Amino acid sequence: MGIIDGLVSGFFQAVSLEVFPFLLVGAVFGLVIGVIPGLSGHFAMAMVIPFLYAMEPGAGIAFLLGAHSTVAQGGGLTAILFSTPGTGQNAATLLDGPPMRDQGLAGLATGAALASCFLGAVFGAVALALLIPVLQQVVLFFGPPEIFVLAILALTFVAVLGKEDLTRSMIAALAGLLLAMVGLDNVTNQERFTLGLFELRDGLSLVPVILGLFAVAEMFDLWVRRDSRAGGMQANRLSAKETQKQIFQGITEAFKHWWLVLRCSAIGAAMGLIPGLGSAPAAFVAYGHAKQSSKNKDTFGKGNIEGVIGSEAANDAVEGGALASTLAFGIPGSSSMGILLAGLFILGVETGPNIITYNVDIVFLMLFTIIIGNLIGTIVGLFLVNPLSRATSLRASILVPILLVVVFTGAYAVNRSGFDIGVAIVFGILGYLMKELGYSRAAMLIGFVLGFAVEKNLYLALQLSGPYFLLDPIPLTLAIVTVVFLGYNVWTIIRDKRRKKSYAR
Amino acid sequence: MKKSRVFALSVSALILSPIMFGGLTACQPSEQNENAVVDAASFYKGKKIKWIIPYSPGGGYDEYARLLSPYLRKYSGARFDILNLPGAGGMRGANELFTSPSDGLTIGMINGSALVTNELVGIKGAQYKIGEFEFLCRVVSDIHVLIVSTRSGYDSFEQILNAEEEVIIGATGLGGSTYLDAVISKEAFGLNLKIIHGFDSSSVIRQAMLRGNIVGSWGSWGSAIDAVDDGRHIVVLQSGTERNADLPDAPTVFEMIEKSSNQERTLAIVTAWESLNAVGRVVATAPGTPAEKVEFLRAAFEKTMHDPEFLKDLKQAGRTISYASGDEMSNIVARATAMPDDIEQLFVRAIKGEL
Repeated sequence: MGIIDGLVSGFFQAVSLEVFPFLLVGAVFGLVIGVIPGLSGHFAMAMVIPFLYAMEPGAGIAFLLGAHSTVAQGGGLTAILFSTPGTGQNAATLLDGPPMRDQGLAGLATGAALASCFLGAVFGAVALALLIPVLQQVVLFFGPPEIFVLAILALTFVAVLGKEDLTRSMIAALAGLLLAMVGLDNVTNQERFTLGLFELRDGLSLVPVILGLFAVAEMFDLWVRRDSRAGGMQANRLSAKETQKQIFQGITEAFKHWWLVLRCSAIGAAMGLIPGLGSAPAAFVAYGHAKQSSKNKDTFGKGNIEGVIGSEAANDAVEGGALASTLAFGIPGSSSMGILLAGLFILGVETGPNIITYNVDIVFLMLFTIIIGNLIGTIVGLFLVNPLSRATSLRASILVPILLVVVFTGAYAVNRSGFDIGVAIVFGILGYLMKELGYSRAAMLIGFVLGFAVEKNLYLALQLSGPYFLLDPIPLTLAIVTVVFLGYNVWTIIRDKRRKKSYAR
Repeated sequence: MKKSRVFALSVSALILSPIMFGGLTACQPSEQNENAVVDAASFYKGKKIKWIIPYSPGGGYDEYARLLSPYLRKYSGARFDILNLPGAGGMRGANELFTSPSDGLTIGMINGSALVTNELVGIKGAQYKIGEFEFLCRVVSDIHVLIVSTRSGYDSFEQILNAEEEVIIGATGLGGSTYLDAVISKEAFGLNLKIIHGFDSSSVIRQAMLRGNIVGSWGSWGSAIDAVDDGRHIVVLQSGTERNADLPDAPTVFEMIEKSSNQERTLAIVTAWESLNAVGRVVATAPGTPAEKVEFLRAAFEKTMHDPEFLKDLKQAGRTISYASGDEMSNIVARATAMPDDIEQLFVRAIKGEL
C-alpha cells in the first residue's frame, strides 16, 4: 500500500461511523482519567485493554490511542487548577501553571495548555508521517540480531532514564524478562516456571499483569491512603464566565507563540523517538528551552505563560516519536507504549516491518486518532474545565470499588479465567510494593513485554549467524551505545557517591 | 418399467445409506429413526448451543464460526453462542469440549491435525482422545505450500532436491505445522535442509525471507497468497494428491515421489503426512452424545455448507471450505491416527524436534 493511499484510507477510517464513536468515548475517558490526580496515562490504557477483545482493529486502535492521547491534556488541567500533576508527564507544567492560577489567570493558563497540547500532538503526528518513508527503509535492516540488541538497548534506556534509581530499575527490568519466561518455551517446548499449573502453560497473560501493576496497584494505594485524590485542595475558583473568557484568550496566546510551540514540539518528538525517555523529561527539556530563549527569563516560575505552552506542547509531541519506534521495531519505549503494543497484539495488528510496509493505513489511522483525539480533548476540556475539576474530589471509598469491579471484570473477561483475577491481584500487590519501594513498574512491564522478543531473537540470531552476530555493524554499534551509556551512568553514580563522601569528610 | 425400478432402488438406497453406515443404529426401523429426527428438531428449537472456539476472537477459527452460525440457526432452530477459550495452543478448548456434558448443547471447532499430533506424542495436559469425539463435519483443511523467496536463487523443488549446500528453511514453534511440514519433507525426500524454528509467525518468516536470512518456509496457501501474488515469493511444492486450481504450476508432494531414491518409504511418509493434513479444522461435539442429536446437527452443517448464500458470504470474507461429512471425518481421523509403526515413530520424533 502506497503512502498516499494509506493516508487517505487512514483518515477515512478515523472519521468513519465504525471508528469515530470509539475515538470520542476514548478521548473523553482519557481526559477524565488525566484530570484525576494519580490515575495516569497507563492506567487509562490498562482500563481500555479488556474492551478490545470484542472490537474491530480500527475501532480498538481509536479507543486505545484516543484515551492515551488526551490524558496529558487532562493532567495539565489538574496541574494548573490544583497544583497536583494529574499525571507524571505534567510535572513541568507545575512550575508556571499554579502561579498563573494564583494571579487569577487560571483560565488563561488552561486555555493555553489545552491548545498547545493539541498543536504539539499535531506536530508529533506530522513528524511520524514524515518518518514513515524513512522507517520503511530502515526496518528492513533489522533482523533478529539487530532486534535483539535494540531490545536490550531499549531496556537499558528505560531502566536508566526512569525517575527511580538505576539499580532498582535494572532489577525490575530483568525481573520483567524473567516473568516473560513463564510458560512453554517456544524453542524447546519445555515448561518453565509453571509450578505445574496448566493455567501457566501459555505464560502470564499480558492483560492481568498490566491491570495488576498499574490499575490494581493504584487502587491499593488509594485505599491505603484513604483520602480523596486531590487531597482536599481547593482551586482558586473564578466565575464560570470569566474562566471561559480567559480560556479562549489562552488559546489565542498559544497560537501567537507558534514559533515556541514548534520548537518545543520538535524537542518532544525527537525525545519520543528515544526509548525510555517518556514525556516527563521531554517536557522539562522543553521548559528549559522556553526559559532560555525567552526575553523574560525572570518571570519563569512565577507564572509565565510560555512555560506552560512549552512544556505542554512537548508533552504531546512525544507521542508521535514514541509511536514511530514502537511500531517500526515492535519495541515500546515507555509503559504506555508497552500497553499499546499489548493492545495491538490483542487486536491482531502486527507491529514491526509489516505494519510499516503493508499496513501503513493503520499507522495513519493512529496518527489521525492522535490528532482528532487531542482536538476532542481540547474542545471538551474547554467547556468542562469547571465540572471536570469536581471529579477530583470523589472519595476513595466510592472510586475504588467502582474501578475495581471494572478492573477485575477486565482481567477475567480476557481468557474467561478466574485464575487471571488472581494474577491481577498478585501483580497489584507487587505493583503497590514496587511503587512504595521505588522500583520502576515501567521497567518491569517493558522487560515483560520485550522478554519474548529478546529470547526468540537471540535464539534466531544464534541460529542464523552464529555467536559472532554481535560483530555485525548494526548490532555492534547498538551494543557499544548500550555499554557506553550504561557505563557512563554507573560512573556518574560512583562519582556522586565519592563526592558525597568527600563532603562528609 | 425398468427405469423407475432403478430410480426407486437408488432412492431407497439413498434413504437407507445413512442408517446402514450409522453402525448400531442401522438395525432400527426407519420409522423410529424419523421420529428421532423429529424429536431432535423439537429438542433444538429455541435452544442455546455453546460453540467453543479454542482461539482468540478475530482469528480464522472465530471468523468461520461467525460466518456459519446464522445459517446453522436457520437449519437447526437453535441459537449459537460463540465462546472463545484460547489457551495451550487450542488444547484448553479441546479439553473443555471433550469433558462437556453429552447433551448435544456444546459443540466446538477444533484444530484436528494439531490434536492428532498432540496425541501422537502424548502431550501433557491433554484430556481428550481425538477418536472419541463425535464429529459433525470438517470445515476446511488447508493446502500446505513450500514457498521460496524470489531473491533466493531457487525457483523449483528440483533445485532444492539437488542442492549442494544447506537450504535454510524458517518455521514457527516446535511441533507446529510449519515446522512439522519442513521436517517431514526433509525426511521424505532426503532434502539438505537446515530448519530454523522459533519465528513468531508466518509474517515474521516472510520478512526473514525478504531480508535473505532464510530461503523459504512451509505454510498454508492462505497465508502465503499475498506475497506470492506480489511476486516476492514463489510456490515450489504443494500438499495434496492433485494440483490446486490456483496453483497449476507447482507440483504436488505425490508427484515428487518418483524423484526419491527410496520411493516406497517416501510414499509411506507422504501418505501419512497427507492423512494428517486432511484432518484440518473440524467441528465436533462431546463423546457419548445421543446419535439422533449428532445426526440432526450433522444435517444442519451439511445444509449450511451447501447453502449458496453462505458460500457467497464465504467468498466475500476471502475464506474457502473443504467440506467433509461427520461420517467421513471419523474415517479421516482413524486413518490419520493409524500410521504404520515406523512412520509413527518418525512423526513423533519430528514433532518432538529430535530430527
